[in-house]
Amino acid sequence: MRPFSADASFLAGAAGAFVPELTLRVADTLARLRQARDVTVGCSAKRAVWSFGKTTLYEYLPLREAARDAPQRSAARPLLICFALVNRPYVLDLQPDRSLVRRLLDAGLSVYLIDWGDPDDADRCLDLEDYVERHLGGCVRHILVSRGTSSLDLLGVCQGGVLSLCYTALHRREVANLVTLTTPVDFHTPDNLLSKWVRELDTELLRQSGNVPGEALNGLFLALMPFRLTQQKYVRLLAGNSDQRVLEDFVRMERWIFDSPPQAAVALAEFVRWFYQENRLIRGTLRIGGKRVDLAAIVQPVLNLYALGDHIVPPAASAAMERCLGSRDYTGCGIDTGHIGMYASRKGADEIPSRIISWLRERP
Amino acid sequence: MQNPFMSTAFKPDLAFTGAAERFFELLKSFSLPGAGAAGAAPDWSALAGSLAGQFEQWLKSSQSAGPWFTAASAPGSGAGFGAAAASFGPLPLGAGAAPQQDAQRSWDLVARLAQLQAQLASYWGEIAHDAAQRFVTRMGAAAGGAPTLDGALKLYELWVNCAEESYAATVRKEEFCRLQAQLANASAALLVEQRRHAETLVRAFGLPSRNEVDALYAQLKELRTQLAELTEARRAKPPQPDRATAGRGAGKRPASTPARDRRSRRARKPRA
Repeated sequence: MRPFSADASFLAGAAGAFVPELTLRVADTLARLRQARDVTVGCSAKRAVWSFGKTTLYEYLPLREAARDAPQRSAARPLLICFALVNRPYVLDLQPDRSLVRRLLDAGLSVYLIDWGDPDDADRCLDLEDYVERHLGGCVRHILVSRGTSSLDLLGVCQGGVLSLCYTALHRREVANLVTLTTPVDFHTPDNLLSKWVRELDTELLRQSGNVPGEALNGLFLALMPFRLTQQKYVRLLAGNSDQRVLEDFVRMERWIFDSPPQAAVALAEFVRWFYQENRLIRGTLRIGGKRVDLAAIVQPVLNLYALGDHIVPPAASAAMERCLGSRDYTGCGIDTGHIGMYASRKGADEIPSRIISWLRERP
Repeated sequence: MQNPFMSTAFKPDLAFTGAAERFFELLKSFSLPGAGAAGAAPDWSALAGSLAGQFEQWLKSSQSAGPWFTAASAPGSGAGFGAAAASFGPLPLGAGAAPQQDAQRSWDLVARLAQLQAQLASYWGEIAHDAAQRFVTRMGAAAGGAPTLDGALKLYELWVNCAEESYAATVRKEEFCRLQAQLANASAALLVEQRRHAETLVRAFGLPSRNEVDALYAQLKELRTQLAELTEARRAKPPQPDRATAGRGAGKRPASTPARDRRSRRARKPRA
């Protein structure tokens, strides 16, 4: 490891008065970051109940406190969480005091989660139809059969929300209530930088050039706001004498941010072309497996939560959902945080689970 | 100097060290004569020049680790085709290993990449100078007071705001977006071209090519899907009693099982 070296000679005199203090803070923060490097992520107990290809469906075990109401819980409609393909889902269960999953379990809900795994070269031809119909669809059907129920509640997050919208539009009867978090519907809003950047990508070349490494996609996301995301957040650690727990929280998030799975070439190329370039979802021209995805066909209750300060999914991209759905029971809500703050900030951890739980309770 | 934009791996201590070092470099610029030092006449142009220079250098060093589509575009560094070829991994291939016509295509793509990289570099200069100008304008209004750590951190926040604003203004421009896409497309085309060379070579050695392996995977995927559908259908339907054996204890065991067992046994029988 390269040692930190600060050339403080330039700050001689009055301007350099704080340099010894700053140097100490840097050394202290660095030591504590190293201590925190091995933090664990994911806190709730779960078991794998179904798998297909690299996809695994997990069922979370009830919390001890919630287990008292076990009969009630098993009768409740299951809730399936469908996360994005481009990130790992454990951010929803990062640590006990910031876990959407834990809050849902605590409310007595029966929670399932899809982990898409790591596509390898064998999966480079996986397409969106595979993901929607066979992977997500397989998870839904497994839950319905194993629980002996005819429908479940679906919670889609970010790109997983897009997949969930597609699935719900194609399989209306299987989804009772739909919750979407930071889910884009209109990919051509003027403030969508990601969309502008990929608008003229040659998706055929993307398809041919093979799976895209997670690190590469990470680079893309960091490039949206490079100074804040690669510099400022670290320097801010010097601003106060935060305790070790705060630093551990920071490292947990870092671990998640830099732990992105590779993307199957064909599915990614389709996603870029159909959604980002051609905006098919909102235009009503999207077809999956030969069937048209009509958002107006979604007539079940929908709760759409989006971040007001989102640099990846601008709020307008998500709020557009209201205009397209056939549902008469639509609740849209902008939360005053950023994209990642929706899953991991203190505000997100407090507000989002409460909204989801109370909304679902009103729609048994 | 390291920065996490260059390496998107989980190394929080390394990323922190890089950011802290850059912070010290910025402080060095902030403390230039005229940048708030007591008694000196403010020389904002010197400060702006220093900040812009540092910033442009950082942007240039970061660009090679930008989005996946620019990651392969090493020629901009001046290292030439060798670096570009090396960025595709340990392939014992390259323009030299391909037939003349194919090699020419690769060389053309490398040249195109270098040209696009140079165009991109001009944008980094634009962003850096605009950010520095924004900063000195705002700093001029906020200058004064004894230098403290909190003050330095506030100055840093101001600098980051200026940098992000300038960056956002430039990278949203249509020409910039088009350039990014062209860079990505040229990069991907070069990668595909290299893979095509590899396909030719492995065929010559009688090895399975990527396309052939993909075709096998596609068949496997189809079979796996069919199997999953059959399994689901079987699980969804309760087992039907066999008509021929109904009333003779049928239903205790699915009628198809013995037949399947017989087939399995036959399959395991060693051939004479």
